[in-house]
Amino acid sequence: MSPLALVFLIAALALIGWVTARARALRFRAGTTQRFSSLPQHHGWFVVLCTLLPPLLFLAVWHFTSPALVTDAVLATPASAQLPPPGFDRAAVLSEARRLAEGSGYGAFHPLSEVLAPAYAAAQARFDWIATAAALLLAFAGGAFAFLQVRPAFSARTQVERVIMGLLLGASLIAILTTIGIVASLLFESARFFRIVPIGDFLLGTHWSPQVIDARDPGASLGAVPLFWGTFFIGAIIAMAVAIPLGLLSAIYLTQYARHTTRRWMKPMLEILAGVPTVVYGYFAALTVAPAVRDLGVAIGVRWASSESALAAGVVMGVMIIPFVSSMADDSLSAVPDSMRDGSLAMGATPSETIKKVLVPAALPGVVGGVLLAVSRAIGETMIVVMAASGVATLTLNPFASTTTVTKQIVDLLTGEAEFDSAKTLAAFALGLTLFVITLLLNVVALIVVRRYRESYE
Amino acid sequence: MNSAPPSPAAPVRTPTDWQSPAMQRRIRHRYAAERRFRWLGLGAVSLSAAFLVFLLATMIGQGANGFLETRIALPIDLRAAKVDVPPARLAGPGGDLALAGAGLEGAVDAAANAAFPQQGGAAVLSDGAWLRVRDAVKRDPSLLSRPATIDVPVATDIDVALKGDGTPESEAIVSALRPRLSKGLNLSFFSGADATDPTRAGIWGALKGSLFTMLVTLALAFPVGVLSALYLEEYAPRNRWTDLIEVSINNLAAVPSIIFGLLGLAVFLNTFHMPRSAALVGGLTLALMTMPVIVIAGRNAIKGVPPSIRDAARGLGASPIQVVFHHVLPLALPGILTGTIIGMARALGETAPLLMIGMRAFIAAPPDKLTDPATALPVQIFLWSDEVAKGFVEKTSAAIIVLLAFLLAMNGIAIYLRNRFETRW
Amino acid sequence: MTSNSAPKMTASRVNVFYGDKQAIRDVSIDVRQEDVTAFIGPSGCGKSTFLRTLNRMNDTIAGARVEGDIRLDGEDIYARAMDVVQLRARVGMVFQKPNPFPKSIFENVAYGPRIHGLARSKADLAQIVERSLVRAGLWGEVKDRLHDSGTALSGGQQQRLCIARAIAVDPEVILMDEPCSALDPIATARIEELIHELRGRYAIVIVTHNMQQAARVSQRTAFFHLGQLVEYGDTSDIFTNPREERTKDYITGRYG
Repeated sequence: MSPLALVFLIAALALIGWVTARARALRFRAGTTQRFSSLPQHHGWFVVLCTLLPPLLFLAVWHFTSPALVTDAVLATPASAQLPPPGFDRAAVLSEARRLAEGSGYGAFHPLSEVLAPAYAAAQARFDWIATAAALLLAFAGGAFAFLQVRPAFSARTQVERVIMGLLLGASLIAILTTIGIVASLLFESARFFRIVPIGDFLLGTHWSPQVIDARDPGASLGAVPLFWGTFFIGAIIAMAVAIPLGLLSAIYLTQYARHTTRRWMKPMLEILAGVPTVVYGYFAALTVAPAVRDLGVAIGVRWASSESALAAGVVMGVMIIPFVSSMADDSLSAVPDSMRDGSLAMGATPSETIKKVLVPAALPGVVGGVLLAVSRAIGETMIVVMAASGVATLTLNPFASTTTVTKQIVDLLTGEAEFDSAKTLAAFALGLTLFVITLLLNVVALIVVRRYRESYE
Repeated sequence: MNSAPPSPAAPVRTPTDWQSPAMQRRIRHRYAAERRFRWLGLGAVSLSAAFLVFLLATMIGQGANGFLETRIALPIDLRAAKVDVPPARLAGPGGDLALAGAGLEGAVDAAANAAFPQQGGAAVLSDGAWLRVRDAVKRDPSLLSRPATIDVPVATDIDVALKGDGTPESEAIVSALRPRLSKGLNLSFFSGADATDPTRAGIWGALKGSLFTMLVTLALAFPVGVLSALYLEEYAPRNRWTDLIEVSINNLAAVPSIIFGLLGLAVFLNTFHMPRSAALVGGLTLALMTMPVIVIAGRNAIKGVPPSIRDAARGLGASPIQVVFHHVLPLALPGILTGTIIGMARALGETAPLLMIGMRAFIAAPPDKLTDPATALPVQIFLWSDEVAKGFVEKTSAAIIVLLAFLLAMNGIAIYLRNRFETRW
Repeated sequence: MTSNSAPKMTASRVNVFYGDKQAIRDVSIDVRQEDVTAFIGPSGCGKSTFLRTLNRMNDTIAGARVEGDIRLDGEDIYARAMDVVQLRARVGMVFQKPNPFPKSIFENVAYGPRIHGLARSKADLAQIVERSLVRAGLWGEVKDRLHDSGTALSGGQQQRLCIARAIAVDPEVILMDEPCSALDPIATARIEELIHELRGRYAIVIVTHNMQQAARVSQRTAFFHLGQLVEYGDTSDIFTNPREERTKDYITGRYG
């Protein structure tokens, strides 16, 4: 029986359970005015849960354990005596036999696998039947047990609600699991990397050329300082030089000057800017901005004007961040009590004096927090730099020269054809860990700053 | 009641003379500064808007041609070329195979060589030209028995030249062939998958991959996101564990997307050995990324439901679960949906994590299952942007237009929902 | 208590609208230089709205519209030629809730002189700050911590700081919008004392819903009700011998 049909059968059993349990509960309620703790459908749902959960749990466990059981059964057959000793060949033959048995193989590469295929098919069929029978039995037993519980005094609702509560708790634990998953996978792979490359070489080395790694001293070509500099240069300096003034001034104009109607269509327009996917920005940067920047560089006499310049990537990244800075600044400015503004205007200050000398200083902690978040976002941004920045790591102050970033290198390192365990691919995880730690710190600091600020005006 | 006597050092101050020339000049300066600042603000907003307009105009300007193809009228006589397939076989499922086996592609190339020998013959045609002939034959089997003229797509350099950006050689070919050339809507762009020849490349494969990915993302992120938002907002006791969950969610929302890609690579591919390049893995990865967004939006929506509603339900003896599922959740749903759509739109535009789990392969057939190798629309854009062939420039922009149209539609729905169902308490 | 000199400010037939809603109906009033004028009336009667028309603070509210004629020393303050910035420097304002800027005490007071360019030098500015704080009766309490934040002061001190801030620009009129409603009785007494001291130097208009306060600090009292000026006269007359029935009902506590 196919797994889907089995699940349907179990679901059907559950449905029958719901109907009969509800009917039974309705019967004992009929003709009495007594109050019950649970409605008939609660009893129904209780039966459904008892019918569904045990077989589904069983099937989930079975899914992971049965392949091993099937293989054991095949190994017990006489034909398997000819198998090569445990190792790569043996695994290859077995997996080929499995594919043949499932009907998804295109003919046998190894003659032995054709011999083993029927044994595989037989074992698989046998275990499938065992699973089906066990699942149905569990469903039936669970349903019957629950059905017998349907009595006036039984509080089915409490039981059902307990299960729902468990479900809710489980759902919120996924966030923690994801965090643990991120930290664990980054730490684990990075630890392997740092066994090959000393951590000091990685964090302090100034030469980065993963294309040619000297096997005797891999750390010599995996020094990440140029990447850190490039990331900081593009994300925290160039992008912010664009995003902070434009974002802040936009927020000031929209909150303090723009008429209500103007604000109503200008704000969504900024939001569209935020909704444009980064791959579009990247394409725009590479196709339109980068050549223009190079031409500009040549025109003003820069010797090393690259068509993959830090400036092009940084400017476009800055544009992408404008709405983010603007909305953070908007929030911070709105949080400043109106009485500040009134107080200043009532002294005869002009609106711009009020903004520059009272509102912005008062909102500064919030704005700074927002800028920190924006920096964290900019240095974690990937597609723009992948498409517009260069892959060559240089330590340069020249915005027209090519620079590379951490994210760009992660992508480059992991999309080659190298095997997974090489220093090159593991370096991507070490870079990822660095990026994660830095953005985490920025976010935490920013959130603390913003929260303090909010509290000061509450 | 005695006030402190004024400081003896302070001289008696004459009232400010606001009309004095110095004061008037000062005030003029202050107003000038005011105007400058105002213009500065307007300038900043306008500049941001100009960026947007410029970006969209560039994309539309380049992409509009991507939806068009150049066709050439190709005189072809299939009877003379001895392409002979019985009509009965044409109609059946084996029709395509039968025509290919009967040498249709060679016949089309020969017809081109005969028709435009000066201009390079078959080189004028797109790789997919014979497929167009094949489809025409299937629609009208009589073409096999008579000479005819069929419009077929041209090769990419001719296409680019006609659209105004060609090499001198291809310009020359275009001017020689101009009477035979025509433009039309490129339907295969919407039905095809990736291809090495830009005139054959389409977005359907990538779009289907995106669709599968989004389905997985939605199926996981929405229920989990809503349930954890409900738990955190309504039931969670205030303790260190809850704080930990909250901190996790807030931080996950700000973790760079590429880190999620690394997670997907390390956990789903290398630990659980799930299939590489599959929409399933892409969906799982994006679900982990989208879930915090939904949780945060959901919590805000739930917080917006006034406590009086909960008190009223509780006062009638509703259990905590009933209070939430009968009253709070329905009232918060529009807000949750708005947040979900916005989160999904972000996931739809996301590229970097999908690159990490191998969805950047060249995939010439649309996926049929969640576990098939697939690509996604933004990744397709990225892949095409890297192509050297000039014809891919307009394809890339056209794909961007399609992606932006989807995102705009999703955000439009979100805004509509917010305005339509938002209740002010 | 009365005098015959020309009034400092005159308002005649003033109407104020918020959108379609009329908040002030046909109010005419004179404010004299040497008096403290109190506006009393139940909440929502328009007394604060009217006060804000006197230095055009209503301009900052979207949809607010003022009709009628308001003059400062005979100059129409709603005329095109009138500069709001100058007007507000001449007609200062103190708000209901103390609203010191999140700056130091010194910077709070120095703010006005700085933006208007009233100080010729640093020393001059320091002198203005000191004199303003002295006049606001705050100098003794803060002279050793001028560079502490203004928001760190107590509520009553903050309000006196706001008064000092208003005085520093050397205004001719000071508008006070329920300046004591957020303060405790001791701080209130201190502010009332201060109003006594400032009287004569500045024309003072104070909005209050506390009738005792109006009786204690003012020489002239205007009673507002439902956006209209019901009665305006010497404070002693209003409180001992009101002409209008509604005034009488209000001051005897029948409503409000």
